[in-house]
Amino acid sequence: MVALIPRRLFCTKISRNCHQHQLQWSVKQVTKSNFNDSLHDFHSHLSSSDFVAVSFQNTGSFSAAWHRVSSFDCPETAYLKARRAADRFQLLQFAVCPFTISGSKVTAHPYNFHLFPRDELNIGMPSYSFSCQTSYLTAMAQQGFDFNACIYDGISYLSRAQELVAKVRMGNPIAIHHVVKPTSTPPSVADTIFVERVKSRVKHWKKACADSSSRKTDGERLMEKYTSFDAVIGNGQFLGFFFLSDNILKFVYWLQMLGEFSDDLVALKIPTKGGGTQAVRVVLTSSKEDKSLFERELQNVEEEQNKKIRGFREVIDLISASQKPVVSHNSLNDFSVIHSKFIGPLPLNMDEFLCSLRLVFPHVFDVNHLMKEIGPLENVTNIPAAISYLKNRFFAPIDMEISHGALLNEGKIHGQTVLRICHLFAKLCSVLRITPGAIQSSDDNITSRLGGYAHSFKSCSVSSQESVDGRIRIWTKSPRKVGCKHLVFLWGFRDSLSAGMLKSLLQGSHDVFSEEFDVCLVDKSCAIVVFLQPNLSQAFLDIMSSEGISGSLRELVSEGLRAAGYETYKRACGLGYWEADLASALDKASATPDCFSQSGSETNPSEVYWCNDLMINLATCEV
Amino acid sequence: MNTTKHWPKRALILSRVLSRAFFSNTSTSASPSPTFPLKHVTRSNFDSALVELRSHVRAADFVAIDLEMTGVTSAPWRESFEFDRFDIRYLKVKDSAEKFAVVQFGVCPFRWDSLKQSFIAHPHNFFVFPRQEIPLDGPSNEFLCQTTSMDFLAKYQFDFNACIHEGVSYLSRGQEDEARRRLKSLYKEQLTNSSHNLRETMDVPLVRVADVLFTERMKKRLSEWRDELLQNRSRGPQDQGASNDLNQQFQTVFFKMRPALSLNGFTSHQLSLIRMVTRKHFKDLVYVRFNGESSSQELVVFTDSESDKDRLVEEVKNEHYRRAEMRIHAAVGFRHVIDLLSSENKLIVGHNCILDIAHIHSKFLGPLPLTAEEFVSCVNKYFPNIIDTKILLNADNILQQRMKKSSTSLSSAFSLLCPELAHGFKSKVQSSQPCVKVEVHVDEMRSPDWNSGAKHEAGYDAFMTGCVFAQVCSHLGIDFQLYSTSENLVQNEKLQKHMNLLYLSWINGDVIDLRTGSRTAEFLGSNILRKRFPRILYENIVLIWGFPSKLKPSVIRECICKTLGPTSVISIYRMDQTAVFVQFSKAELVSDFLILKESLERSDDAISVLHPLSQLLEGGNTRAASYETYKDICESPVSELLFADQAEAVGIKWKTKLLPSDVVESQEDNHFHLENALDHTPETVEKSKIRKTEDVVNDSSNKQLTCNEIIDTLLKVEKIRRTSNL
Repeated sequence: MVALIPRRLFCTKISRNCHQHQLQWSVKQVTKSNFNDSLHDFHSHLSSSDFVAVSFQNTGSFSAAWHRVSSFDCPETAYLKARRAADRFQLLQFAVCPFTISGSKVTAHPYNFHLFPRDELNIGMPSYSFSCQTSYLTAMAQQGFDFNACIYDGISYLSRAQELVAKVRMGNPIAIHHVVKPTSTPPSVADTIFVERVKSRVKHWKKACADSSSRKTDGERLMEKYTSFDAVIGNGQFLGFFFLSDNILKFVYWLQMLGEFSDDLVALKIPTKGGGTQAVRVVLTSSKEDKSLFERELQNVEEEQNKKIRGFREVIDLISASQKPVVSHNSLNDFSVIHSKFIGPLPLNMDEFLCSLRLVFPHVFDVNHLMKEIGPLENVTNIPAAISYLKNRFFAPIDMEISHGALLNEGKIHGQTVLRICHLFAKLCSVLRITPGAIQSSDDNITSRLGGYAHSFKSCSVSSQESVDGRIRIWTKSPRKVGCKHLVFLWGFRDSLSAGMLKSLLQGSHDVFSEEFDVCLVDKSCAIVVFLQPNLSQAFLDIMSSEGISGSLRELVSEGLRAAGYETYKRACGLGYWEADLASALDKASATPDCFSQSGSETNPSEVYWCNDLMINLATCEV
Repeated sequence: MNTTKHWPKRALILSRVLSRAFFSNTSTSASPSPTFPLKHVTRSNFDSALVELRSHVRAADFVAIDLEMTGVTSAPWRESFEFDRFDIRYLKVKDSAEKFAVVQFGVCPFRWDSLKQSFIAHPHNFFVFPRQEIPLDGPSNEFLCQTTSMDFLAKYQFDFNACIHEGVSYLSRGQEDEARRRLKSLYKEQLTNSSHNLRETMDVPLVRVADVLFTERMKKRLSEWRDELLQNRSRGPQDQGASNDLNQQFQTVFFKMRPALSLNGFTSHQLSLIRMVTRKHFKDLVYVRFNGESSSQELVVFTDSESDKDRLVEEVKNEHYRRAEMRIHAAVGFRHVIDLLSSENKLIVGHNCILDIAHIHSKFLGPLPLTAEEFVSCVNKYFPNIIDTKILLNADNILQQRMKKSSTSLSSAFSLLCPELAHGFKSKVQSSQPCVKVEVHVDEMRSPDWNSGAKHEAGYDAFMTGCVFAQVCSHLGIDFQLYSTSENLVQNEKLQKHMNLLYLSWINGDVIDLRTGSRTAEFLGSNILRKRFPRILYENIVLIWGFPSKLKPSVIRECICKTLGPTSVISIYRMDQTAVFVQFSKAELVSDFLILKESLERSDDAISVLHPLSQLLEGGNTRAASYETYKDICESPVSELLFADQAEAVGIKWKTKLLPSDVVESQEDNHFHLENALDHTPETVEKSKIRKTEDVVNDSSNKQLTCNEIIDTLLKVEKIRRTSNL
């Protein structure tokens, strides 16, 4: 199709010199055209490596300021925010890098896959539409991202869940390989009659086929059979039998009976749109050899089809199957995206998500979390900063060896981040005196040395891109741990009020504010008040809803000031009230009857590290 | 994109490819037409292109436009259905225009040249991208991409890089006003508390030794410089350049006719120290931060006197203000083109352009209003003369015949009506009318038979639209010699009857009049070749969703027919795998159905399990409501993929929405005084019916009765079955 259309005269070529990296490693760029070849190389690189680092480029991460994961989020709300972002935005490139660390040397094999959710099978999948944040696209453009390459030639994919749906929807026949043993209960009279009837019918049909096909050459018959299933139908060489989905027993007899003719008959299952088996198609082959040939043919067709369906997900499946530890920079964010795009829809709550994820990726390392081990880092927000932080404090030279060194030319700049993650991870291992070689040799070692670090999710997403938009600045003072129940959300105050102004307004308004408290703005419409004395938050909430409210607080309330506890905030996230400003979301949530927060949240009071990044530990999730 | 809106995409692509193949074959046999690209406009050449376009538009007789967007529908159930009521159709257009981005905007002014007896066209292709050029409040800039649309654009070699890297940004009128308001308030704030506030906040306490030393040095350095200046002044300004500082960090320059020191290579902390020193110790020196085009410059400026100092501060402030205003002006970007089209009052020509117009409204004018009527009146204010070539093509019998039943899509109309332009050769089928000549000018290049061949490029599509319009005008007998000015063309009575009519939905020919907001179902007595759908009575429609996904529409029909009679259902329309519209033969059946469903769900006995409807209700998530609910759901800004999920996201928790009982309840109290006035009107009839159904509802709370009811319907079913078997 493309060949017919003359190329537009002025398609923009992306100039590669627009962005100078301090480190220019060569990364293998993979698009639709070289995917199959690269997949093979990747597989061998993967099996010879100890770790896999991943990083990717999204079209956005939050639609409104309060939608981004912040320090006041507890694990549950952080997950809900990550979940929302993962569902809305789209992956455009996915960098994967199998690597091995031996001493101070890192051997890395970086690949950068360009993705586009093209509807290859014309079934409305993998995604009908997706959101883009212009600031993200602009930032990508500044890094020299080639959108044409991505959209014209990106690799498509289907998640595992989508694959199941797609197979059903396409309704391709599936060969039945093993015959199920019939149940032990003796067959009823009706069943026996049924089996006998089918038997005679099949015999009859076989005979008729043999008669008619004797007039044709073998070659002709083969052609008819293999080129298309429809041709087989047209030739009368198949026997279709429809049965109701609830009549499993008949199906079993049917198969059992076919076993008697197993020399030259092949049974195919024809799925319906609804998902169940609607019919069995039986194909007559001329001999035993012919049968095995036909079966192999069927298998090839199926494999080919599966490959086409899976697309890029093949890479994810390979990583998963290899059971290698996966290293990422912002794992909550990354793995919620990976789950949503390549595994299946994200579960409603965090625990289910972690369990589901653990089945696919048993070992996950978050370099951000590892960084925490080194020190309570004040300001290491992104990978380059972390690397230079380590460089200034520790002597841990890392020698990077990249497998595609020979391919170095311009235009290979994408996917550098994944190499920096490898680099950082190796440095961290060296500083923390972890010998990654040992991970491979003994499983005990993992638990003893890295066990504490594995499966930890850093829920605070701070990447270099996000820090550009620093509208929320919380606390520059020392971090402290604050229970969620000490936080009160305030909204309905005047526009363009700063946190300081709000604080001074509150200070004189009521006794509860005589003790130490803190105020910060979440967005323009809503602020958080942190009470550092116990019980004051509840007292404040009680006052806000009581009749006897007086003084300047009364004034504020009559102007529209409203307050709610952390539960309301959790409810707003849980019910998906992703309004543009937090105030309207909280308004909606407080109007909704409280059916969402059950005993679970009370028995397990969550804490947030106020002004500290928080960890979500996968180990607490019981499978 | 125009033509893709309501057409099956796959078929469309095929037809395009075929026609493309046809083109390439013919153009090789004919003499090669000169192909130079149309005028692509990006950030880099926008300003100059705008100046040129301004003069072209002023001189033009009409301007053709076309838009390319990142998508058309945000969910399958938001696609155009034949079951869409007038207001729903507008809601669908609105949703589309709000969610998707415009990535290309084609503008092509056409001017009649009476000497050449030809139109002169200037096709412009603007790459547009909603980059955030200046900080604004509100939600982050975000738009939706429909995967198939992006793929479609990619198939036609759309240049995404040009769009995202180099696209022209814009501000809507609302955004511009907001930015200006912010700037003004900021400026005012500065004026009121400048002297007082700045001093307080700016004083940095000198704690570190290094700071103290640095401050002292700066103090010395500045006073030296000032003394030197004063000396020079007494001697005369001749040799100032010679005494220039060796230190690269200080350079004597002139700023607004005053001598100044330009500060280079200091850290921001150092700069703030210098600023403090200047303020504290030098009455005649002013620290100025001057924002240039690309970088900002820090200066210490010498002033003669206190009044001169004030003057300088004022000047700098004004300068800042002016610059900020200029930035806003620049950020308005592509909207200047829209403002130009609006202010010049030219005839705007589009092809099936309701969605284009809605995009223009939502992106450049302001948020789209809730109803089609308001939308139309607003559009009419800004663009009083819009003509849709699709309307023209379908309104005329002879044209219809000439189109030979082929589709009225833009490219097929273009190749049929303007064969010389489309294929570069004369049509074999000689038509009575000669082709209108169109000469294309792009910068210095001009060509009488131009064809860039880049279909689905907004600029080229706009060009095709204009050519089709010119051809149709000539067919209608409009003499361009006489109607050489735009106003006359607008006034032409042959065009008048088609003016300002747009297809609100092409799928069933709903036309909206931009002047009045009234809708014309089909128009002007022309014989339309395509099939007309029977009029749909929306009060007869029930919306059912959330049923088991394996249920086919035919099974649903069977279920309902078993219950309410074999002729009860006229048609079933599948919205997506989770929802259907059911059209009943009578409006009463709607409430009957809803009441029956409601009562079945409430009773839990064996009879309800045996009921034929139970197959539909299996799973317990089946919801039903009248057509009105579809509107509520369409109004929501949310767009879930499946209708059932959407309904849930909108917050629908009930299972069955009984028809108007709640309406009656809420109106009961204040309704009696209207009763008399409304006597003998259809509404009263309607109301009495409502009463009846309400009674039934109340009764049905009694469980015994409910069971009886169910048995009744079961008996009815049995009867029907028997009769139909016989």
